[in-house]
Amino acid sequence: MKKIIVFLFCLAIFLSFKITNEKLFYTPKGFPKPVYNFTNNKISKAKVELGRMLFYETQLSRNNTISCANCHLQYSSFTHVDHALSHGIDDRIGKRNSPVLVNLAWQKSFMWDGAINHLDMQALAPISNTSEMDEKIENVVSKLNQNNIYKKYCYKTFKDSNITGELVLKSLSQFMLTFISANSKYDSVMQELTEFTTKEKNGYNLFKQNCASCHTEPLFTNSEFENNGLLVDLKNPDYGRMTLTKNRKDSLKFKVPTLRNIEFSYPYMHDGRFKKLSDVMNHYTNITTQNGLYSQKLSMPIVLSSNEKVDIIAFMLTLTDKNFMFNKRFNYPFKLLKK
Amino acid sequence: MLYYQHLKGVLFSLLICISFVVLGQKKKDNIELQIIPKFGVAHFILGKQYPFNSDSIQLETIKFYISNIELLLDGKVTYKEKNSYHLVDFLDTNSMSISLIKSSNKKFNGIKFNIGIDSIINQSGAFGGDLDPTKGMYWTWQNGYINIKLEGSISNSITDVYSKFEYHLGGYQYPTNTIQQMSFDVKQNSNVDFVLDVEKMIQHIDVEKQPKLMSPSAEAVDFATNFSRAFIAPKLK
Repeated sequence: MKKIIVFLFCLAIFLSFKITNEKLFYTPKGFPKPVYNFTNNKISKAKVELGRMLFYETQLSRNNTISCANCHLQYSSFTHVDHALSHGIDDRIGKRNSPVLVNLAWQKSFMWDGAINHLDMQALAPISNTSEMDEKIENVVSKLNQNNIYKKYCYKTFKDSNITGELVLKSLSQFMLTFISANSKYDSVMQELTEFTTKEKNGYNLFKQNCASCHTEPLFTNSEFENNGLLVDLKNPDYGRMTLTKNRKDSLKFKVPTLRNIEFSYPYMHDGRFKKLSDVMNHYTNITTQNGLYSQKLSMPIVLSSNEKVDIIAFMLTLTDKNFMFNKRFNYPFKLLKK
Repeated sequence: MLYYQHLKGVLFSLLICISFVVLGQKKKDNIELQIIPKFGVAHFILGKQYPFNSDSIQLETIKFYISNIELLLDGKVTYKEKNSYHLVDFLDTNSMSISLIKSSNKKFNGIKFNIGIDSIINQSGAFGGDLDPTKGMYWTWQNGYINIKLEGSISNSITDVYSKFEYHLGGYQYPTNTIQQMSFDVKQNSNVDFVLDVEKMIQHIDVEKQPKLMSPSAEAVDFATNFSRAFIAPKLK
């Protein structure tokens, strides 16, 4: 009897560990294997929490006013809703639209032009960008090393109060890796827990015929760089990936963004030029050869009636994941950042 | 019982003695890779002015990575350093000698290493130690380590005007890969002393034409190649 009790007790502990770990990171049903290599950065509650503190930490910026969350608000799937271009330190305006942060463990490269090859290194770009946080990682780390909240936290959890650049970057990664959005109506339909309305279903079928070669399920991006036929905005000229690779073939190519939570990530495109999804639909049906050498995938014109466009939009709204956007685990960590 | 406790004390001190001997031997056994900075035949110091063409040159920063060190005997690898990433910073004399812990039975008469960081590390996220991005050797707007960093100024002998230069050499992908593979014959089983001739390192620079290099480019590749030629092979005798 005693043995059974001990066994059950151990089992309970084991299961509770397993459950909490699963909650931090998991691969949703139907998703591919994550791209992120976890062997160099094993997911732990301690680091996820540290990453969460850092995500909301204004000391990451030169004058301690801007945190990651300024341009990546949870309630809009971690983008800067209603801002065409990113809005940083001293009210400076950046060059591009801030992207949503979802399912980053499955993302091969970061930024609109793919300039960043690894999630760990991503945070360095906005930290040092003069229109965003305008700070050096060296200074961030030295500020954190003088901040009692972080010193205490690190001493308590890692038995070492010394904060390094590596720890900061890997912890931010861990918090962002937990941004898994796979709980939308679309996902429930795929798991046969609910059904699309007639309009949504029609929209889904049209989406598969016209949009899915780039916005591929279940991540709703093919992780490639494409020229979607947008004309260059001469007031804010941006040639996309070509500026990085210096290869003319990459002219006007931008990374295909995910469509998950698109309802809340307006305005759309790399420069936020379209306010509404109907503007986006109209762009794709109006592309002509005037728009230059756009993606091969768009060589067949997209022909849609106005009703069909409405149906596709109805389908896209099923990609909204409120469980994700209102998940308390991603909120400002009042408890942890209490002075 | 008392005898036993006594024995324990003796054994303990014996253990300490042995460990001292072993540790001491290990230190003796260390093969060191040393970098001796020179400017031509003169000793080189950061911040000091040296003649450069008809002007004078002063260097404030010389930092670079040495990585993937291997020792070889007649072309066969006998020792491969683990986690072999070293930031050499002329401001920090400790960083200018790299100690390669090596047991005496491993013989060698050749050395191989890279100047710069390999593409695998460049694509694998954040690392600590000498690879920590707080070391100021990582580009932030696009990925990649700065393999070599040279900063300083040239003052015109006639006008006395200073022109600053900043050369941050990096790039890990073809065709702008700046990593340099180095291979030398060395004196068998003894310390490896390289002379790094700063005069040679900078002889090709044209500050008026190119005061800055800050991203992967063909110019950066040429510069890194010239940098590697400033390593003067150790004397064999």
